[in-house]
Amino acid sequence: MIGVWSALAGALVLLLVLLAWVRAEASSKDSRSDWGAADQEQSEGEGESVEACSPEIVSQLFSAADSKFISGFESPGLENLFRRERTAIALHSVQETSAFISKVMRRHLEASRLRADLEIATEARIFLQYARLKLYCGILFVLIGLLGPHRLAGTALYAERFIQRVGEGLVEFQSAAQLREPEGSESL
Amino acid sequence: MSAMVKPLPVQEAYEDLLQRSLSRIPCDLGRLLYLASTRDYNTGNYHHDGLADRFSVKVARSALEIAHRQAFYKVAALSLEELVRDLAAYLESSRENPEEFLRTWQRLEPYRIAIPMEVNPTVARLFASNVRLALAVLRLRQSTHADR
Repeated sequence: MIGVWSALAGALVLLLVLLAWVRAEASSKDSRSDWGAADQEQSEGEGESVEACSPEIVSQLFSAADSKFISGFESPGLENLFRRERTAIALHSVQETSAFISKVMRRHLEASRLRADLEIATEARIFLQYARLKLYCGILFVLIGLLGPHRLAGTALYAERFIQRVGEGLVEFQSAAQLREPEGSESL
Repeated sequence: MSAMVKPLPVQEAYEDLLQRSLSRIPCDLGRLLYLASTRDYNTGNYHHDGLADRFSVKVARSALEIAHRQAFYKVAALSLEELVRDLAAYLESSRENPEEFLRTWQRLEPYRIAIPMEVNPTVARLFASNVRLALAVLRLRQSTHADR
């Protein structure tokens, strides 16, 4: 009997996560359509020269002060607008981070194919790091869609910083690996 | 003999721009819009006659570009409360009819042209979103005043 209840609870949780994902995806799509051309251009290569989102901006995105300021007006319309706007940007920020991590990993894989001295243990560690980062991005995406960024303030900020720090580590590792590449191999 | 460090031309042009033009504008949003207006919509190049005469077209362009990016990041980092105050100051300095100004800004979204070329897309979105929210706050305040 306990097994049936556990299965039902698991299915319910899964359903909620799926619903949150769909909701988050819809909010993020709404904001994407508004900025379509600009975003496409960024993702098609020019994004490399674009600097990363600073921690100040990320903390502002999840800021409780802005939320408090808006709720001070006691206007449901304004509060809805604020929640919608902030959720869309926070989701976009997570997607951007996730895309950046994927790009770094793709480049690392391309570079790895040209190397003869691959270390399985190091590669496995990098892959685990990558999988962990993608998982964090996925969880953050669902949580933002479910609760909204202002309710997550501390957690989201911590996760974003962590993702960025590890992502930067991945980039540094990749740069170091590129320096070690044998002469004559193609550069990225 | 004292060693004098000569400032780089772009830095000199940037400081000149700050002192002569930007210091006269009373708010951050005003400075940002002014700098965005020195950019050609077709080419994305910046131009300022006075600055180009004193330095060179190229140096003036670089100084304007740097100043534009700095002004943008400054406004994008403002809290909503600060931005509402800044927008109100800009509205006041424009001497336009406040109601008409707010309605036009909400419809045309002219502040979107104030975004520099290569900035982080999340920051660009946050900026536009914050201005939208600041406009909504000012309109709400206006309607509350009208009701009284």
